Amino acid sequence: MDLPAGIRNFSYARDMAIFRTKTHWFLLALLMTALFTAPLYLANYWLGVSNLIMIIIIAATGLNILTGYCGQLSIGHAGFMAVGAYTSVILSGRFDVPFLIGLLCGGIAAGLVGMLFGISSLRVKGFYLAISTLAAQFIILWVISHWTGVTGGTMGLAVSPAQIAGLTFRSQGSKFYLILVIAVIVIYLAKNLVRTRTGRAFVAIRDNDLAAEVMGVNPFRYKLLAFFIGCFFAGIAGALFASWTGFISSESFPFTNSILYVGMIIIGGLGTTIGPIFGVIFVQSLDEFVRHVSPTLVSAFPNLSSGFTVGIAPLLFGLAIILFLIFEPRGLAHRWALFKASYRLWPFSY
Amino acid sequence: MAELLQFVITGIAVGLVYSLIALGFVMVWKSSGVANLAQGQLLLLFAWFSYSMLAQTGFPIWVGLILVFIFSLVVGWLMERVILRPLIAQPILSLITVTLGVAFVIQGLASILWPQGLAALPRIFPQETIHIGTAVVSHEYLWAAAISLALFAFLSIYFKYNRTGIVMRATADDQKAVQACGIPVTRIFSRSWMLACALAATGGVLMASIGGVTFGLVDTGMRSFSVVILGGLDSFLGAMVAGPIIGLAQTVGGGYLTPLTWPGVNEVIPFIIIIIVMFIKPYGLFGEERIERI
Repeated sequence: MDLPAGIRNFSYARDMAIFRTKTHWFLLALLMTALFTAPLYLANYWLGVSNLIMIIIIAATGLNILTGYCGQLSIGHAGFMAVGAYTSVILSGRFDVPFLIGLLCGGIAAGLVGMLFGISSLRVKGFYLAISTLAAQFIILWVISHWTGVTGGTMGLAVSPAQIAGLTFRSQGSKFYLILVIAVIVIYLAKNLVRTRTGRAFVAIRDNDLAAEVMGVNPFRYKLLAFFIGCFFAGIAGALFASWTGFISSESFPFTNSILYVGMIIIGGLGTTIGPIFGVIFVQSLDEFVRHVSPTLVSAFPNLSSGFTVGIAPLLFGLAIILFLIFEPRGLAHRWALFKASYRLWPFSY
Repeated sequence: MAELLQFVITGIAVGLVYSLIALGFVMVWKSSGVANLAQGQLLLLFAWFSYSMLAQTGFPIWVGLILVFIFSLVVGWLMERVILRPLIAQPILSLITVTLGVAFVIQGLASILWPQGLAALPRIFPQETIHIGTAVVSHEYLWAAAISLALFAFLSIYFKYNRTGIVMRATADDQKAVQACGIPVTRIFSRSWMLACALAATGGVLMASIGGVTFGLVDTGMRSFSVVILGGLDSFLGAMVAGPIIGLAQTVGGGYLTPLTWPGVNEVIPFIIIIIVMFIKPYGLFGEERIERI
């Protein structure tokens, strides 16, 4: 495996550990220190950007379990996020449920709705399943925008800031800690999930579901489980999104976001834990870049079309998805693995 | 009763346009196994292009429409040659998502090139309305239905008697056998993409002449997926039959259900139909059920 020469393991526990060398632990400590002190040196705006990035990382990690590991394409993930967001907001807004329980209920509700639409995955796959999740997204959004008595429809709902044990998460900095802790937990869970029997069953189903069934993996059970887990994370992300923006409406979770999430995990690398993180950071940085550069471009070249600022971002995302699929279908995660290998083997990397 | 007739006529007409869009999808799916989720965006692109040709540059209508037709062939050829040919033999997941990427690109292009976001095509069809019994129908609907039916008839003959058409069917059946006969399969892929884009262009112009050029055309394309699902992914006849069913469900169901439920129910009826079909008969009315072997 990816270990420097001379590292030996004398127990299975050591062999299976995620962090195995002192360098690993040191780098982890460094990263965690950098992350947890980020509110000290990041401006408020960039804290907001990183909050959004971490929320999307949670959603993309869920989608990656569903699509990357279990092979069930979902293009309705934003719809499942909406379910989680509305459940948690309504629970904590109307019924004074504590935030964390609301968060969990949001995740569970999203997971159950995801399972409901995932039932069709037993009989169909590929394109059929993609269309059925697409239909899920449109149905969910339609219910949200018209069930005005509960969801507020297009007028939306105001969300009160999250409260845990007397602490209120109002500023970007405090929300940063809340979201960061949950994101770290989610990534840790995802990383470990795919190393268990469940995760390996997902991969078996992705690679060949008939063969997996013959080998004793119950496809129905595991596909539904993948839908539940993937949508559970989406629901958590949706609930966090609601408490981060402080306002949700039926337009907060558009269909284009669903496609974007699929694009993110493809750019990052399907079926790897690090992939969604890379993909989300890549796409969101591209978004920020466009947001900052396009006004300058528009003022520098006044004969640019007035739709330039609106259209350039989707144009670039689409191009990124196409180019990655053609030239690097294994995504940034593969590049990262190559980089690590060449670093480890340097100067004899042949 | 009067409104029922109205609903039925508009439903069938709109449904036939859905069928047309779905035919383009089925064609690509059958010959190359690519699920084109950018169908709605292609509609949007061709509708805007025809707006440019007819309204902005002011060509006579027939010149403009011919230009739109040529443009659609070029787009279809480019799609296949540049984007999908490098992805031949990739997993279905990549083939689906690459069309999602195309969808994004087209949407971005459309907002850059046509920032107004809303436009009306110049009138292609006569303006006065037609009275059928108690229903009042505008010319666009009838023309849309007639053109769809004519194209379907043309395609049926094309696939039955034309050499390329027969080869396309053969490719759908067995790509390796076709290649062994000395026919370049990639050329067939490219032909079917061009044909599919031409169909999308026709659908785009017809839908735009009914409802104007808006981003709503993307949703029209999405709704036409329900036609594909209901009819069966690999069946031309299925697409042709399912289109009017979806159109009828949308107008009749929408017309009578709106007072009972919420407004806009006709927008989601196609999606609800998708879910129901998935549960009951996932391969559609006329689709071929795939039996897999390891």
